[in-house]
Amino acid sequence: MSLLEPPTNRSAFRRLAFMILWLIVLDPFVPPILHRLETWRYEGGTAFRFENSDLFGLGPLVSYLREHPRGERRRVVFFGNSLIFGYLLDVADALPAQYEKQVPGTRVFNMAINGQETGTSYLVEKAIIDSVDVIFVQEISRKANPMLGSLIPVTSDDARAFGLQMPDPAEHRMKEWLGRVWRLYGSNERLQAALFGTSTRQYLYLNKRVILKTLLGSRTRIDKASAPEPRERPVVLAPRAPVAIARDRRTMSKDEQLVYALADFTRAHRKRIVFLNFEYLGQQPRPEIAQFNAEYAPFAERVVVMVPPTLIFDEQHLHEHGCRLVAAALAKHELEAEKELPRR
Amino acid sequence: MIFTDLRFVLLFVLGWGAFFAFPRRWRSAVLTFWGMLFYALYAGWALLVVIALVALTLTSGWRRFLACIVGAVIVGVLAYFKIAELPGVESRSLIVPLGLSYLSFELLHVCIERFRGRLREVGWLDLFAFAFFAPARIAGPIKRFPQFVDEVRNAEMSASNVYAGALRILLGLVKKFILADTFALTVTERTYAASMAHVWIIVIAYSLEIYFDFSAYSDIAIGLARMLGIALPENFRNPYSAANIREFWERWHITLSQWVRDYVFSPAGRALFRTPLRPWPFVIAAISYLVTFAIVGAWHGLTIGFILWGLYHGVLLTLYHGVRTKMPPAVSDHPWYRSRVTRVLATGVTFFFVTLGWVLFMVPIADAKRMLGIMFGAGS
Repeated sequence: MSLLEPPTNRSAFRRLAFMILWLIVLDPFVPPILHRLETWRYEGGTAFRFENSDLFGLGPLVSYLREHPRGERRRVVFFGNSLIFGYLLDVADALPAQYEKQVPGTRVFNMAINGQETGTSYLVEKAIIDSVDVIFVQEISRKANPMLGSLIPVTSDDARAFGLQMPDPAEHRMKEWLGRVWRLYGSNERLQAALFGTSTRQYLYLNKRVILKTLLGSRTRIDKASAPEPRERPVVLAPRAPVAIARDRRTMSKDEQLVYALADFTRAHRKRIVFLNFEYLGQQPRPEIAQFNAEYAPFAERVVVMVPPTLIFDEQHLHEHGCRLVAAALAKHELEAEKELPRR
Repeated sequence: MIFTDLRFVLLFVLGWGAFFAFPRRWRSAVLTFWGMLFYALYAGWALLVVIALVALTLTSGWRRFLACIVGAVIVGVLAYFKIAELPGVESRSLIVPLGLSYLSFELLHVCIERFRGRLREVGWLDLFAFAFFAPARIAGPIKRFPQFVDEVRNAEMSASNVYAGALRILLGLVKKFILADTFALTVTERTYAASMAHVWIIVIAYSLEIYFDFSAYSDIAIGLARMLGIALPENFRNPYSAANIREFWERWHITLSQWVRDYVFSPAGRALFRTPLRPWPFVIAAISYLVTFAIVGAWHGLTIGFILWGLYHGVLLTLYHGVRTKMPPAVSDHPWYRSRVTRVLATGVTFFFVTLGWVLFMVPIADAKRMLGIMFGAGS
């Protein structure tokens, strides 16, 4: 007789009743367990990012931040692509984690994803603006990930503007209702994200070498021991025009309009946003940047990080030392910039 | 995954309640109504295509030639949608209606059996219930009409069935969400894999992913049907434990294997035996295998990769047939040949060849060539 074949009707009924009873008994313990796990994951000392650049953890993190608008430390968020994410780097070596080390009393969330564009940053920022203090956004085009519609709260106007795939409304309502009645179901993604930092399958995948004791193949990592300490230092440029002259938005590109929309939104919430532009060829900032900075100071600022070639590999990604030096330069710049911010 | 959609779960719970609440003679009507609701929800306009195909199939019993025409129409509709989904084809946004490949083979089975005169009584509601049976509509198993009708008539509500069904569904969910989806992440590395070991790991991961994914769908379908007291045919029986390619096809996608055996392989073999090829049974077997598995490949999709994959299995089966029939009794009766060690080795060899074939299934033909090149040390 197979395990799937219950011996008798009565015993099957008993087993079914036991399974349901077990779920009912377990359910009240879900919220406190979730609270402990999320506090450990999001407020603890371990550097945070979406492992393997997987979006699974985005929804749970946004839910947590919205439910806990005040953290134990000042909250800083980084948005961007693989450069900010820390391509081929350990989470603790990536730029956001290095920034956290440079600025004590700060909790940094690395919300960068490979290939992320400013549209995604815009929508996520709108969802969490009341729960964060400073936002760093790498300026890259304007698209948003179409999946965001089913991951975070977005308005119907934004969904249309960015071409998001929205969940079926009936399915969405049913999930919400069932999640309220059955907390284990409602919290299942948040539990996974809090426990593993990502989905269970991503966690298994990422740890398969440990689990199976096999190699991943030809992927190479930067050899920390052999990477020499570079002499050159990055420079953060944030030019500001002497007089603020509002620009006509209609003449701007759509990418530029999005930057202004983000700046308007952040200023309206009296938070600070820093737009990051990385420059590898030594070109000086465009005059529009100075205009922007004059118009939005001190709430929004566009900065150009001049990155010497010795801080990068494959022509576009910062290596471990590069991340540390850029983080230090940004931290120093922020220390000055925040003196201008009104006290909250 | 549709099975985990709450709308599907709600539909199932309501369908389950109605199935047992209404008198037994109304069961086909309940299954039809439930199945149509499900199909309308998830496939929209394609519901009309399926209704038309089922209605056409009903007419197949009137005259033998009508069964042939209806069968040809079903194959034509399937081919039309399969061609429409090919890249580069002006398809006017057509997508293959949900589960059409499975449905086509189920309806063809009805047409062929009616043509053969083995299926005389086909109630229209029974046929609609058969065609629209929601749990098996997504990814099989491919049902047989007489067995299905018997199962529906004799279905009993019992805690035992609900328990066994729930466990089977749970098994399917674990296979899909923990195993298949985890292996799938390794498979995504194929875009940049460049070393021999890496490509082999990816191909083996795909081998496991496709098994766990597909068998998970079957497990859930079988579990849902079991909750209704309906036994659906099994679709997988540890296929990677097969010691030869023939045994593999007796364990992999069993309902498809049995379908092509009954409606393609055996008739093709019988027909060829009536030709001048009669003195060469090996040639007859080879042609039958190749034709059968070319159809199996095309059923998965009308791409060169799928058809080559089918032909590859046709060649493997032909070779195995040749080895088996020509093997001297001194070898086949030897204790070593029947030992456990030989079986383990044979299982490994079978897994190797099956896994190699999945490369054609996994990626377009140009990528398959590149991957196979790396796997055998010929570079990219």
